[in-house]
Amino acid sequence: MTAVISVADYQATFGQKTILKQVSFTLKGPAFTVILGENGAGKTTLMKAVLKAALAPHPGSAIQVQADRLAYVPQFRDLGDDYPLSIAAFVGLGLNRGFRPWTTAAEKKRLRWALAQVDLADKADLALAAASGGQKQRAYIAQALVQQPDLLILDEPTASLDAKHTAVLIARLRALQQETGMLVLFISHDTSWVSQYADNYLWLHDQQVTVGAAAALPQAAQSKHSEEVHHV
Amino acid sequence: MFEAAFMQHAFLAGTLVSLVAGVVGTFVVARSYNYLTHSLSEIAFAGAAFGFLLGWPALVGMVLLTFLAALSIGSLENTKIRQDNVTSAISALAIGLGILFLALGHTASTAATGILFGSVLGISTTDLWVLAAMTVLVLLVLFLFYKPLRWLAFDEAGLLKRPSQTRALKILFLVVMALSVAISSQLVGSLLIFVLMTLPAASARYYQKTVGKLMALAIFFALFGTWTGLTLAYLTNLPTSVFIAVIEVVIYLVSALTAE
Repeated sequence: MTAVISVADYQATFGQKTILKQVSFTLKGPAFTVILGENGAGKTTLMKAVLKAALAPHPGSAIQVQADRLAYVPQFRDLGDDYPLSIAAFVGLGLNRGFRPWTTAAEKKRLRWALAQVDLADKADLALAAASGGQKQRAYIAQALVQQPDLLILDEPTASLDAKHTAVLIARLRALQQETGMLVLFISHDTSWVSQYADNYLWLHDQQVTVGAAAALPQAAQSKHSEEVHHV
Repeated sequence: MFEAAFMQHAFLAGTLVSLVAGVVGTFVVARSYNYLTHSLSEIAFAGAAFGFLLGWPALVGMVLLTFLAALSIGSLENTKIRQDNVTSAISALAIGLGILFLALGHTASTAATGILFGSVLGISTTDLWVLAAMTVLVLLVLFLFYKPLRWLAFDEAGLLKRPSQTRALKILFLVVMALSVAISSQLVGSLLIFVLMTLPAASARYYQKTVGKLMALAIFFALFGTWTGLTLAYLTNLPTSVFIAVIEVVIYLVSALTAE
């Protein structure tokens, strides 16, 4: 199905502080939407509220989500240096439907597909703990893909990657989004790639949100990412 | 060795316990709940003492109290209280109550020793049936909820469920763990719960990379220790727990030291 997120008069507070004030917007798949904003602007808060609305829908709530299958790639995962599972076994954790412990032939096929999508087919048996940062990040995304989502939410999945690996991963995700017709919400700090790969943006600033076409990203929404990296 | 009924019982019980401990232990170690198994086994001690007081089989008392403890730990887990503090409070209370129940029941010290250090050679036919029923129950729950429990144990951050479902799943896991601790206490005693619940599963992590294979190897290590331990206990007339403990520790040390 086509994923739709409708937000009407949503308010977010953190303690005494209002982060988002009466915001309203609609996002509809298929699309690659990037969520932008300074630290503390409410990106993660909004994303968590969307997840909650999708998992436990409530008729009167400010956020309504229509999606059959939701997948989510969290920003942090503390699996430890002695994490025993291989990349394939870790990705296979996402195959969690049905009251049966075994994996069906169709699920195995999906697992191979998901690994191939992120270019990990030949690393399937590598221990996740022994994988590089980029490989781990791609395994996290494959675990989400194996669930065949129509709504995929990623929280800064490229934060630990260098510019080259970030570009490759985003190009791959963009191609997948177009192939499968899903709605991708990609929280990002870095806006350098947005106009090239995203359809639209959701910019959180001054307790408000601005939605628009990625090609017309306002100057003020663009991150000072390169300056931060180079300590200008 | 197998002519004696008590040895047949012991081998059957040992096999059942090893199956449960290998499977559940894999999840316990993945979730870093090792020390919680120890607290639960102290609660099992109190439960067994309570059982003696009322004239029940020890396992029934163990199951009852660990089950209640799992439910209370599970409901406290979702509050802001630190879990290790909760666990230490509950296990302190459990040991205290255990001593009280032993005193009130005028339970012989041999029975108390049996609870603490295991008494597999004295297992009765009734005990064996209760043990078999519990094993079937635990394995059935794991069979039905294998995939969500696997995800919870191996990647809680990625688990995406309705909050109420996640809560229910965590409590289900604690209950399964509590029952497994009660079952395993039959063999190695409350004080040596690590021997079967965590050491075989921890050793398996050095060799295997899928959840199914981790479980299979943990069961193998547990069975090897149990069967060898029972045989050595029969031959030497020394307590079974000693041998199982030494074998499992050696397996763990060899695994850890030979790992790349």
